[in-house]
Amino acid sequence: MTYSFVPILLMILAAAILGAVFLGLNTIIGKKQRNPSKLAPYESGVPLLDESRKRVNVKFYQIAMLFILFDIEAAFLYPWAVIYRNATLTPAGISWFVFGEMLVFVLLLGIGYIYVWKKRAFDWT
Amino acid sequence: MIEVAPSTAAYLMLSATLFSIGLVGVVIRRNMITVLMSIELMLNAVNINLIAFSHRLSSLEGQIFVIFIIAIAAGEAAVGLAIIIQLYRLKSSVNVDEAKVLNG
Amino acid sequence: MEALTSGMPFLVFLIIGTIAVAASILVVAMRNPVHSALFLLLTFLCVAVLFVLKAAEFVAAVQVLVYAGGIMVLFLFVVMLINVRSLPEERVMSAFWKGGLAVGLGLFILFAGVVRPGVYHEPKGNERDLRTQTTYRMRKVRNADGTVTERRVGRSRVVGNSEAIGMVLYRDYLVPFEVASLFLLVAMIGAIVIGKRELLAEEEESTPQFILDRAEKEKEVKEVVNGR
Repeated sequence: MTYSFVPILLMILAAAILGAVFLGLNTIIGKKQRNPSKLAPYESGVPLLDESRKRVNVKFYQIAMLFILFDIEAAFLYPWAVIYRNATLTPAGISWFVFGEMLVFVLLLGIGYIYVWKKRAFDWT
Repeated sequence: MIEVAPSTAAYLMLSATLFSIGLVGVVIRRNMITVLMSIELMLNAVNINLIAFSHRLSSLEGQIFVIFIIAIAAGEAAVGLAIIIQLYRLKSSVNVDEAKVLNG
Repeated sequence: MEALTSGMPFLVFLIIGTIAVAASILVVAMRNPVHSALFLLLTFLCVAVLFVLKAAEFVAAVQVLVYAGGIMVLFLFVVMLINVRSLPEERVMSAFWKGGLAVGLGLFILFAGVVRPGVYHEPKGNERDLRTQTTYRMRKVRNADGTVTERRVGRSRVVGNSEAIGMVLYRDYLVPFEVASLFLLVAMIGAIVIGKRELLAEEEESTPQFILDRAEKEKEVKEVVNGR
């Protein structure tokens, strides 16, 4: 069964080899010139507006935090979605049971969603 | 075809190594963010252990446990990092040594 | 060829395990938290591969989705938010780092002593059981004496790993599942309450005053030292 992952392994290897070959050829064959505009982040000459290492806004953290918590919800939804079709084939009680427990789960997180909305955590300004 | 799978003992040793490294990180690092990362490392070591035993005992319960641990680790990271941000605003530092009194 | 491929899981374990241990050591050892976070990401991905080797494909997917996709982004945002690079150089280790190393080493020796050679060595697991789904239903069974009773009859069939997990998770682990949603709700509210205290926009974006102060002070000290 683990063998079904061999293509993924081969793809990772191929990607690594391809990247190494391109970079290697560049350093071996390529012409080396170092001047300030070459070393600039945007070689095409777009002037930089600001440095990249400034502090980011705390809003990013809030969005990322909410993303994780709803990400977990999505992760729990996957196996549920997989079994739901089979659960509907079995006697009626089971399908309502499976539906109901996911309903409770989503409702509880929906309360959190409404709370977060009311607290204006989604507002950017 | 017979697969020569890595043994449970190999997984346990790897898990013990990761757990010890995580513990060392929690104890010796002064940066609070790195301490939290070390805690995640320890949680991962525990997950490896559970998966190894789930495979050995042919039982899915270990995998279910790991899913719950991952969910709880996500909540822990969210709240822990929020606390770190507040501490940084208060103390202007993320060193664990700075946070030795409970009242701000 | 067969001998070559049959040893492959172990080979993959050796390589990936070595990378995982090396990356986790670097997580602890790196001075810059951004580097620590990136090595932590590498560790998470390696651990996902190790999960796949032990027939836990769904858990591996969740590991990549939640840990590598979510938690790492959160860590990186916080590192960027705090921007430790602009802090003055400080000691990385705490004062009792020798004690910490000793504790870690002692714990490792303890664990290694528990995993005695020969106890957990042969991989005994039956991977089919990890992909088997058992459904129960009541069925009327005619007994030997002619009476009809209802009995629970189980039927097993081999399915995918996530389907088997779903069946166990949503049937046997119903209460933990709902409690998990409650936990997520509490975490959401807690993080919003803790995290959402307004600061002025200028303070958020610019260099903090204390760093400027510290730089000023260091400059003065240097001048005094050079003056002597």
